[in-house]
Amino acid sequence: MSGFIFAAEAAEASALSFPLIPALIALPLIGALVVGLIPTARDGIHQQLAVLFSGAAGAISVWALVEFDKTDAGFQFVSQQDWVADLGIQWLAGIDGITLFLVVLTGLLFPLTMVAVNPGHDHKPYFIWLLILQSGCFGVFVALDLFMFFVFFEIVLVPMYFLIGKWGHGNAKYAANKFFLFTMAGSALMLVSIVTLVSLQARESGNAATFSVVDIAENLAIGQGTARWLFLGFALAFAVKVPIFPLHTWLPDAHTEAPTAGSVILAGVMLKLGTYGFLRFGLYLFPEASNYFAPVFLTLGVIGIVYGAVVATMQKDLKRLVAYSSVAHLGFIVLGTFSLNSQGIQGGLAQMINHGISTGALFLLVGWLYERRHTRQIAELGGIQKAAPVFAGVFTLVMLSSIGLPGLNGFVGEFLVLLGAFTAHRWWAVVATVGVILAALYLLWAYQRVFHGPTEGDNADTPDLSVWEGVVIAPLLVGIVFLGLYPKPMLERMEPAIDRLVEHVEAGVGGDFTEPVPTVGESGTFSELVETTHAEHEEHGSHSDEHGDEDHSDEEDHGDEEGGE
Amino acid sequence: MLNILAQPPTDAIPTPDVAWSGLMPLLILSGGAVLLLTIVSLAKDFIPRWFTPIYTVLIGIATGVAAIPLWLRVTDTPSAADPNNGPFATLDSSFGVDGFSVFFTMLFAAVVVLVALLANDYLRREDIDGPEFYVLMMLSASGGIVMASANDLIVMFLGLEILSIAVYVMAAMHSRRIESQEAGMKYFVLGALSSAVFLYGIALTYGATGSTNLVEIREFLSNVILLNDALLLAGFALLLVGFGFKVAAVPFHSWTPDVYQGAPTPVVGFMASAVKAAAFAGMLRVFWLTFGSYRTDWQPVIYGLAIATLLVGSFVAIVQTDVKRMLAYSSISHAGYLLVGVQAATNEGTATVLFYLAAYAFMVIGSFTVITLATGPGDAKTSLTDIAGLARTRPVLGIALTVFLLGQAGVPFTSGFFAKFYVISAAADANSYGLAIVAMLAAVVAAFLYLRIMMAIWLDGDEVADPTELAAAKAGIPVPWGAAVVLVVTVGFTLVFGLWPEPMIEMARDAVPALAIG
Amino acid sequence: MSEFLRSYLTVAIFGATGCLLVGAFVGLSALVRPTRPQAQKYLTYESGVDPVGTGWSQSNIRYYVFALLFVMFDVEAVFIFPWATRLEAYGYFGLVEMAIFIFILALGLFYAWRKGVLRWV
Repeated sequence: MSGFIFAAEAAEASALSFPLIPALIALPLIGALVVGLIPTARDGIHQQLAVLFSGAAGAISVWALVEFDKTDAGFQFVSQQDWVADLGIQWLAGIDGITLFLVVLTGLLFPLTMVAVNPGHDHKPYFIWLLILQSGCFGVFVALDLFMFFVFFEIVLVPMYFLIGKWGHGNAKYAANKFFLFTMAGSALMLVSIVTLVSLQARESGNAATFSVVDIAENLAIGQGTARWLFLGFALAFAVKVPIFPLHTWLPDAHTEAPTAGSVILAGVMLKLGTYGFLRFGLYLFPEASNYFAPVFLTLGVIGIVYGAVVATMQKDLKRLVAYSSVAHLGFIVLGTFSLNSQGIQGGLAQMINHGISTGALFLLVGWLYERRHTRQIAELGGIQKAAPVFAGVFTLVMLSSIGLPGLNGFVGEFLVLLGAFTAHRWWAVVATVGVILAALYLLWAYQRVFHGPTEGDNADTPDLSVWEGVVIAPLLVGIVFLGLYPKPMLERMEPAIDRLVEHVEAGVGGDFTEPVPTVGESGTFSELVETTHAEHEEHGSHSDEHGDEDHSDEEDHGDEEGGE
Repeated sequence: MLNILAQPPTDAIPTPDVAWSGLMPLLILSGGAVLLLTIVSLAKDFIPRWFTPIYTVLIGIATGVAAIPLWLRVTDTPSAADPNNGPFATLDSSFGVDGFSVFFTMLFAAVVVLVALLANDYLRREDIDGPEFYVLMMLSASGGIVMASANDLIVMFLGLEILSIAVYVMAAMHSRRIESQEAGMKYFVLGALSSAVFLYGIALTYGATGSTNLVEIREFLSNVILLNDALLLAGFALLLVGFGFKVAAVPFHSWTPDVYQGAPTPVVGFMASAVKAAAFAGMLRVFWLTFGSYRTDWQPVIYGLAIATLLVGSFVAIVQTDVKRMLAYSSISHAGYLLVGVQAATNEGTATVLFYLAAYAFMVIGSFTVITLATGPGDAKTSLTDIAGLARTRPVLGIALTVFLLGQAGVPFTSGFFAKFYVISAAADANSYGLAIVAMLAAVVAAFLYLRIMMAIWLDGDEVADPTELAAAKAGIPVPWGAAVVLVVTVGFTLVFGLWPEPMIEMARDAVPALAIG
Repeated sequence: MSEFLRSYLTVAIFGATGCLLVGAFVGLSALVRPTRPQAQKYLTYESGVDPVGTGWSQSNIRYYVFALLFVMFDVEAVFIFPWATRLEAYGYFGLVEMAIFIFILALGLFYAWRKGVLRWV
């Protein structure tokens, strides 16, 4: 596998000599330094500088999108440098189809947030923390070295902690503490797992110690039982970060109390650190263990979907409602990921991007509503539509995307996830579908209560969306519509890397346990894609029945094993 | 009479050879301390007050510089050109000069320099100025060097006493504060008890092995199979208790919070860095180097101590409201981490302990520097509410303290992260997975403690932030130059070795193979 | 019980015996002795001069300093007498060594003198 990297590196050297990944990580940091050196008194310039540097990093991420070779399933723009040589720790980073769009999302969402929201007080540290956070998020997504990954995974806690604690509302300190401790508790065991994995890998394989995830994954030498324990160590960290159902309690608090920018970043980028972690460090590192524990995570994912939706329905606070909708959406991502087939994983990945865009936009809108009305209680709002029609229109569009209306981006991910889950584990998918219906219920109901009805009291004076706010949110709306109508450019760039991951998992498990269906063939639009998939299923009608049975017996096996232990 | 002395008598007692070069750092430090005392006694009225701290800093630097050629010599392998290279022992093989002892010598020299710079301003502020603090600190550090170099249990005890007695006095230095006297008294009584226990341990070990020399004990233990090792095990236990007191391992930690809270803040910095380092040096020398062949006997005990120390240190810290007490409990839980490294009983584990001690020494001195400055005159306003809003009123101190707290919490890009990482690696390499998990969970609990302090300095105290008051606070309290130097050095150390730990861990690895024979 | 634990048993028995012995003697004397409580018996001295003031009477700190200085030279003497009997055997080395020892102690006395503790004011 290391040969792979070198080949990619050689190809990249001829195509692109610019150190893309170091620039991605360094630019926001340099920005933080520059902002830090500007005297506190000059308030306005901090924001401009921060947006400039963050935007420059965003531009580089877009450049990576343009330069990205969509046929290559391996890592591109690889950047490699020894760090602590004798322990096998290196600076090893690369972008593949899985991380490409997460990097772009990070690159674009940050400058947008910085433009969109005014922190109100203490401008300077606010923008410094945001810039450091952006750098850290880039680091997590591009890291291919376990140690480097862990470092970035931990470091993002610090800026977020201060953003929530210092600029948050209400019970912000409690929320910040809870956020920090939950996440740190998760990653504490991950460090033990990483260290043990590297140590055992070096011992069993007889090679020098290395933290390179590619080297370890391609020559995994540790025993099955150990691998399962280690997987649990990693999985706990990611499960807290995602968050998966029983570990989710920090999320509503953190989202609700965080400042608007914090919520947007938390929902848009930071929750993806966990789901991405499952792909790269769960499935890729421990294919067998992932398959073994898949039923557990599928179940928890489905519980998350239904639970998130039900609890969201009952919320009185609009922001908390959106927060719980995140729990449901992330349940879908987990469901897709642990379907362990191409459609599911691709759907999960698409859902990560889409959730980032639409929930980010939703939090932005709720934040703006709060700025106007100084309340988030649904009961105190009402009839906003009459006072602010454009605002209501934008909210409708974003909300529909979040519900998963066909033609908007939310649908693509959810559909693929359900497709993948249905192929692999039929009944989980059926239950998850309930979540889709519930999502429509709680969001439409909330919309009705907030925007419709008689306009009373202060609500009548709600200012409409300003031109500037319109300009800020426009890119997100474009993303929502574009990715909904024409997801092919995104899906086809993801596909080679995901196929390779699925092959790797299959090889690790040792049996063809699902049927990979080509999701994007020649089809141009999403409706064509649906037709193609549908047709193929028709073709193999009898076939898929057989497979369905096999799958069923597989599940029973798992049940037995769990019962036996 | 001199003629009689000139003729060697028939029953001449052989006097040991002295390798003066190996003793140089120790002689400079202890000699410097005695000389300082003489100078100030002779010329009490002519000495300007800046002389003493500067003199101490220079002596500290000289000690460190004198250690450099030794370091180069002992970490090199003997060659035809330099047959004397490599570790050696002197004074009838009771004083070992090896990478291990020279590493600690340099660490103590650094601690002396930093604490002297910090104390300069503090002593003047509290109106307890005088040369005694500096003299005692240098003597105490030389005791630490003796402990780290001891090749003989008696010499080890000598070092322990020199180290401790000076610190007892330093703890009670702030004679007008009743808390300081209480701290000194408590530390003295419990310290004396632990010394007695330690001495009894030496006696029992001598009884079991027939020697107090560590090299001879090691030879004896690896060559002779004891039919009844009860005496030896009792010796182990008592020695461990003695060391446990000094490193503040649970259940021998009860003095720590009171003493840390009451003692003058710079002294606490010295205790948390130098005294802890010296005790761990002694523990590694005795247990890992000497009793290595009996590791199956003492490893489980240290395993248990480590778990108790980690859990008590981090959990009890949560309910504290005094910053100095909090850092006392944090120092207990750090002792737990260090015990994890000791428990591994491997070369790598020992190297990680050295790295951890160095990283922790700088972080903790930095923390107590900030606390010295932030808690103002009187040394009593150390509760969490007293430092609320520190980052707002004095941003430099706030940022520095944040770096140290993040470092102690083990957040990446600080030396504390690598310290924890190395210790956990060593534990995993030694198959102590359970201990590694407990250590990381304790780290999470301890992180809550550091978060509370950070929260207080960054997020609380908004009500204090009246603009005029703020401006006055900023303008009114400059950071004294000595403390500023300490902060720059300690923050720099914490961040540089957080990004690039290799030089330090390489040094720690070079320091490990020790216990010279001959 | 394994051999390993058995060896620790000795330690435990050793400790237990110690506690038991002390307890036994104290208990025995408590059993044997007559008990006739009287107020006088709780005075600091049962006979002789009646105590005046509280048990925590203060004595002059100067006594303490002098006592400390005395102990210093007392200990010095402990080292010097055996050394003197074997001076010939040590040769020059011994002479120089003791000179350094006394010199360092003298420095302490010198410090105390300059500090003013020798003056009885």
